[in-house]
Amino acid sequence: MKVDVRTKMLVVVVFSLLALIYQNPRILGILLALNLLVLALFRVNFLLLRGFKGFVFMFSGLIVMQSFFVREGEPLWQVGEAVLLTTGGIYYGISILLRFLVLACSALLMAGCDPQELVLALVKMRVPYEVAFMIQLGIRFMPVMFEELQNIINSIQLRGVDMRKVYRRKILRFYTNLFSPLIYSVWQKTEKLAILLEMRGFRSSPERTYYRDIVLTRTDYLVMGVVLTSAFVFVFAVRGL
Amino acid sequence: MTYITLKDVTFTYPGKTVPAVKNVSQHFNPGEQVAITGLNGSGKSTLARLMVGLLSAQSGIVHLQGKPVKQYSLAERGRKIGFVYQNPSQMLFNNTVFNEAAFGLKWRGVKKEEVMARCRELLQYFNLWHLREEFPFNLSEGQKQMLVLASILALKPDFLILDEPTKSIDTEGKKKLKEILLDIWRQGTGTIVISHDREFIQGLNRRSLHMIEGEVRENEGRREN
Repeated sequence: MKVDVRTKMLVVVVFSLLALIYQNPRILGILLALNLLVLALFRVNFLLLRGFKGFVFMFSGLIVMQSFFVREGEPLWQVGEAVLLTTGGIYYGISILLRFLVLACSALLMAGCDPQELVLALVKMRVPYEVAFMIQLGIRFMPVMFEELQNIINSIQLRGVDMRKVYRRKILRFYTNLFSPLIYSVWQKTEKLAILLEMRGFRSSPERTYYRDIVLTRTDYLVMGVVLTSAFVFVFAVRGL
Repeated sequence: MTYITLKDVTFTYPGKTVPAVKNVSQHFNPGEQVAITGLNGSGKSTLARLMVGLLSAQSGIVHLQGKPVKQYSLAERGRKIGFVYQNPSQMLFNNTVFNEAAFGLKWRGVKKEEVMARCRELLQYFNLWHLREEFPFNLSEGQKQMLVLASILALKPDFLILDEPTKSIDTEGKKKLKEILLDIWRQGTGTIVISHDREFIQGLNRRSLHMIEGEVRENEGRREN
């Protein structure tokens, strides 16, 4: 289904809000299922979900952490006096995991968006152009930053330092080496970019015209209506759960 | 035994149809001095990255000392082959010039006195000792190049691969770099210099490979380039 960026934004906002309101894993589970259905309707490439693989370990750790700190529910695994796993911990862990998945999956809707259309949509929503442009730059430079980070990781390892062994040792000092060049290069890039933008007359006149235009069609209004109505129906339907 | 062996190596970047490196079979012996030339986009840098295992070939094999290159961790590969990127800034990540040169040694648990001695010797050799407290990113491009080289040589690798080392160096810097590379080679370290600077590679090309559209032609460098 081809819809406007603004419609997609509304879908993302609705799903994210609902994910933040509820904590019950059952409700969040239903929300995730609905979210995946919407992704399929909008023909989002499901292969993008592979990117979440790395988070599996993080969330398994989170469930254990929750068990440590959330002293609710029945203890499931106990070593001596120390309770390592509780039903309460698993409950909170799973709800955080589901919440993250709903937020991330709904954000995937925006993955295929043309950044320029996004700026246009924001401007039409009366967001100041500078702010919209900043968002566009943020999206544009994200992959560059990841590439740079990978480069630094490779360079460190090429100096004969095995990262797997470092993790157990002076980890903090190691991370200084990892992130300080990244911050420095981002800062340098920003400075250069600012100069380049000024040289090309960025904001030299207060009025900006646009070559491209985006319009909300009947489909967009229909989708927006369906999404909002479904959200209300959802809120009432899950009250008993 | 050959040090680096490539057999029928082909590599295509994701989303591209034309391979960047096509059916390359080469071996590099320990202590060898090789120059790889070719026009921009002919696959020189890709070939170098394949040799170090920073890229994985879709077909063919890359061996390092008789074992598939990927069987070594990146750190192990780094200890065997010193690889200098085209852009030296991408290889700097310390707060001072001295720490940059000492990084690999420190993390390998070399004694403090030895680190100090080796870094002093290297930084003096590269004429960077007086800048030892400087922030590496504040150095000139040429100095950055020298610093990266010093940091890698501190690890005493068996082979050195330099990707376009003359990109941002002036004539004097080039002369100095050439002397250094010859010196390193005489001391037994194999060098592979990738460059399209014909003048620079003269004297560094006991064996010369020329790349055209991803394919390697041996000893044709002088005619084509």
